[in-house]
Amino acid sequence: MSEAVLKLDHVNKYFGGVHAVQDMSFSLEKGELAGLIGPNGAGKTTIFNLITGVYDVDSGSILFCGEDITPYKTYEVIRKGIARTFQNLRLFPRSTVLENVMTACQQHYQYGFFEAATHLGRWKSLEKSIRDQSMALLERVGLDSLAEQAAGTLPYGHQRRLEIARALSLQPRLLLLDEPAAGMNPDEVQELNGLITSIHRDFDLTILVIEHHMELVMEICPHIICMNFGAKIAEGDPDHIQNHPEILKAYLGEEVLEA
Amino acid sequence: MSGYVEGIIILLFINGIAAMGVSLLTGFTGVFTLGHAGYMAIGAYSAAIMTVRYGIHWLPAILAGGIIAMVVAYLIGVPTLRLMGDYYAIASIGLGESIRLILENWQSFTRGARGYPGIDNYTNLPVAVTFFVIMALLMFFLIRSNFGRAFKACRDDYVAASLLGFNTARYRVLSLSISAFYCGVAGALMAGFLTFIQPVMFDLNKSTELTAVVVFGGLGSLSGSLIGTAVITLVTELFRPISQYRMLIYGAVMVIIMVVRPEGIMGQHELSPRFIRSLFNRKDRSPRTAEGGDGR
Amino acid sequence: MDTLIQQIINGLSLGSVYALIAVGYSLVYSILLFSNFAHGGFLVIGGYICYYTLAAMGHNIWLSGLLAMVGAGVVAILVERLAYKPIRERTNVTLYLLIASMGMSIVIENIFVVTVGGRFRALPPVIPTDPVNFFGLATTSAFDLLSLGMAVLFLTALQLFLSKTKWGLAIRAASYDLRTSGLMGVNVNRLISIVFFVAGLLAAVGGIFLSVRYTLYPQLGFITIKAFVAAVIGGLGSLPGAVLGSLILGLAEMLTAGFISSQMRDLVVFGMLVLTLLWRPSGLLGKQVSEKV
Repeated sequence: MSEAVLKLDHVNKYFGGVHAVQDMSFSLEKGELAGLIGPNGAGKTTIFNLITGVYDVDSGSILFCGEDITPYKTYEVIRKGIARTFQNLRLFPRSTVLENVMTACQQHYQYGFFEAATHLGRWKSLEKSIRDQSMALLERVGLDSLAEQAAGTLPYGHQRRLEIARALSLQPRLLLLDEPAAGMNPDEVQELNGLITSIHRDFDLTILVIEHHMELVMEICPHIICMNFGAKIAEGDPDHIQNHPEILKAYLGEEVLEA
Repeated sequence: MSGYVEGIIILLFINGIAAMGVSLLTGFTGVFTLGHAGYMAIGAYSAAIMTVRYGIHWLPAILAGGIIAMVVAYLIGVPTLRLMGDYYAIASIGLGESIRLILENWQSFTRGARGYPGIDNYTNLPVAVTFFVIMALLMFFLIRSNFGRAFKACRDDYVAASLLGFNTARYRVLSLSISAFYCGVAGALMAGFLTFIQPVMFDLNKSTELTAVVVFGGLGSLSGSLIGTAVITLVTELFRPISQYRMLIYGAVMVIIMVVRPEGIMGQHELSPRFIRSLFNRKDRSPRTAEGGDGR
Repeated sequence: MDTLIQQIINGLSLGSVYALIAVGYSLVYSILLFSNFAHGGFLVIGGYICYYTLAAMGHNIWLSGLLAMVGAGVVAILVERLAYKPIRERTNVTLYLLIASMGMSIVIENIFVVTVGGRFRALPPVIPTDPVNFFGLATTSAFDLLSLGMAVLFLTALQLFLSKTKWGLAIRAASYDLRTSGLMGVNVNRLISIVFFVAGLLAAVGGIFLSVRYTLYPQLGFITIKAFVAAVIGGLGSLPGAVLGSLILGLAEMLTAGFISSQMRDLVVFGMLVLTLLWRPSGLLGKQVSEKV
C-alpha cells in the first residue's frame, strides 16, 4: 500500500460567517487521476487554494507525501512538488508563450545573482537547458510553433494548453487542474481528455481535476469526490457517483428526484 | 567639447543610472514608487560627507553611497513592500519626504536646508561614462536572466508568480534594494558633479521626474527609460531660459502620454536591430507587439 | 492645561479642514479606485478664485466662497473629462490614471506659477480671526471655531446628500461596484462627473480656510498629501474613515507642534502614515478587500 500523495484531514475554512469548507477529508494515492465535482460555490477552488497555501486553514491538516504542508507559504508548497492551473487563466499575457513556460521551468535550473548580472559561469548552459526543456514541453502540448507569440493573443483553447504546459514544467508530483475544460465545446473536451490522460501516463503524475463537464470527469477519473456547500457528500467511482441520490439532489434539485 | 555640453552629457549619464534603477523596480517589477529621490539624497550626502569631512577617496565613497542607500531601502522595504499598488506609492511619497526632512533637520551632520558645499568635483566625463557603462551592462544582463523573468512575473501577476514557486516578497525587496543602489550611486555622482547639494534637490519633484521618465520611455523597456531620460534631460536644458514653463510643459506631457500612448515610447520592447527593422516593415510586424486581450 | 485645550481645538480645527479635503479624495477613490493626486489642484483653484473675486467684487465672502466652490467643481469635472475619462475608457490599469493625475497636479500648480506668480498672498481679512474665549477654559481664535463649524456643516450636507438623494444612492452603489451600478441603469459618466464636482467643491472650501491659515501660494496643494495620509489612516474609500483620520492627524500635528517642535510635525505625519500601512494597511475603518483567486 503506497503512501497517500495528498491527504486532507478534517480541514475547515471560514470566510467571516460562511463555512466554506466543512470537515473535509480525503486522500489520493500515488498515480491517481481523481476528480473533484460539485455545484458552483461548493468550495472546490477553495480546496485548491487551501492546498497551495493561498488561504490559511482554520483547522485540520493537509499532508503531501506524508509531510504536513498546512503551515507552508504558497511558494514553499509549489517547491515541494505541487502545481496548479487556474479557472480564470493566469498567464502572463504580454510575455511570449515560450517565456511563460521558461519562467516556470527555471525553478529546476537555478543559477546565482552574480551569474545572472554578468552572464558568466553557468548562465549560458543553464539558459539553454531552460529553453530546450520549455520547447520540449510546448511540443508535447502542440504549441511549439507559437513559441514567440504573445500569450495573450492566443485563442482560448491554446491558452489553456499553455497553462498546463507551464504547470508541467514545474516537474510536479501532484497536479491540480482547476476547470481545465471551462468554455470548451464537446470536441475540445475530448481533445483535452486525451491530453490529460496522456500526461498522466507519461509524466507519472497524480492529478486532481475540478470540473463541471461530466463527460470529462466520468470518462477519465476512476476516483471522484463530490462536494456541496463546503462538505463532501459522496466519494467513489463513476458508477457509484452517478447513482448517488445526494448528488442528484445537489445538481438537479429535490423536486426532480421526487418526480 | 565645451564645458557646457560636457556637463549635459555627464548629467545624462547620472540621470540615466538613476532611471535604470527606477526602471527595474517600476517597469520590470511593477512597484510604482514616488520616493526614489530619497535614495539619491542618501547616496549624495553619504559621498559628500565621506569625501569632505573624512577625506575618503571618491571611488569608495560613491560605492558606499550606493550601499548605504541600498541598506536603508532594504530595511524600510521588508515591511512596506507587503503593500500593493497605490498603497506603496503613497508610502513611498512619505518615505522620500521623510528622508528629505531628516536631512534638512539634522543640521549638525548635514548642514541642513542651506546645503552642503565644497564637494570635490570628482565626477568628470570618464568617471561618469565608466560607471554608466558598467551599471547599464549589469542591468541589461540581469533583465535577460532568471531574475529578470522572476521580476516580470511578480509584476504581471504576483499570485500566479507565487504559484510558480517564486518568493514574490523576496524578489520585490531585491528589486527595491538594487534600484536604491543605482539611485544612491547616481546621487553620489551628482554630488561630485554639482559640488554642492541641498535636500530640496531630492524632493517629490525629482522623484516624480524619475518615475515619469520611466513611464514615458515605456514600462518594461530599459532602453526606453534611457531614451526617456535623454529626452527629459535635454528638454529641461533647452527650456532652462523659460524654466517656469518647463514644469508646466513637463506635467502636460505626462498627462498627454498617458492619454495618447500609455505604453510609452518603446512599450515593452528594447531598442534592438530587430525592433528598428520592425518599424520599417510594418506589414511584417509580428503579433508579439499586440497588447493582448486582457490588457495589463 | 490652557495650552493643551488650545492645541486640541487647533488640532480639531485643522483636522476638520483636512477632513473636507480627505473626504473628497476618498470619494473619488471609492468610485474609481485610484488616488487622484491632482486633488490638491482643486484646493488651490478654490483659493485663488476666492482671492481674486474678493478683490474684484468687494469683500463678500459668501459670494466669493460660492464662486470658488462652483469654479473648483467645474474644473474638477473638466480634469476628469479631459485626462481621466479617455484613459479609463481604454484600460483598467489604474497606474496610468495615477500618473496622469500627477501630471495634472503639476500642470495646475504651474499654471498659477506662470500666470499669477508664486508669491504668497494673504486673503483680505473677511473671515474673523479675533480671539474668542472658549467657555472660560481657553482662548482660541474665531477662525478655528468657524472652520470647525463650516466643516461640520459641509460634511453633514454631504452625508444628507449621500443618504437621502437619488444620486447619493447611486454613488454609494457605485462605490461597491462601478460596473454593476452602470448595468443597473446608472449613467456612469454623469455619476463620475458629479463625484468630481463634489470633490472639487469640498476641496475649494478647504482651500479657502487653508489660504487664510497659511496664506495662498501655488504649492499650497501640496498639503493635500496630509489629506491623503489622513484618508489612508482612516481607511481608503471610507468617508467616515477620512474624517476620523483627518481629526487624528490634525490633533497629532498640533500637539507635536505645541509640545515637541514645529519641525517634527511633518515627520510625525509621515511616521503615522508608515505605521498605519505597516500595522493595518486598510486603515481604521477601511474594508479589507482580498483578491479572489
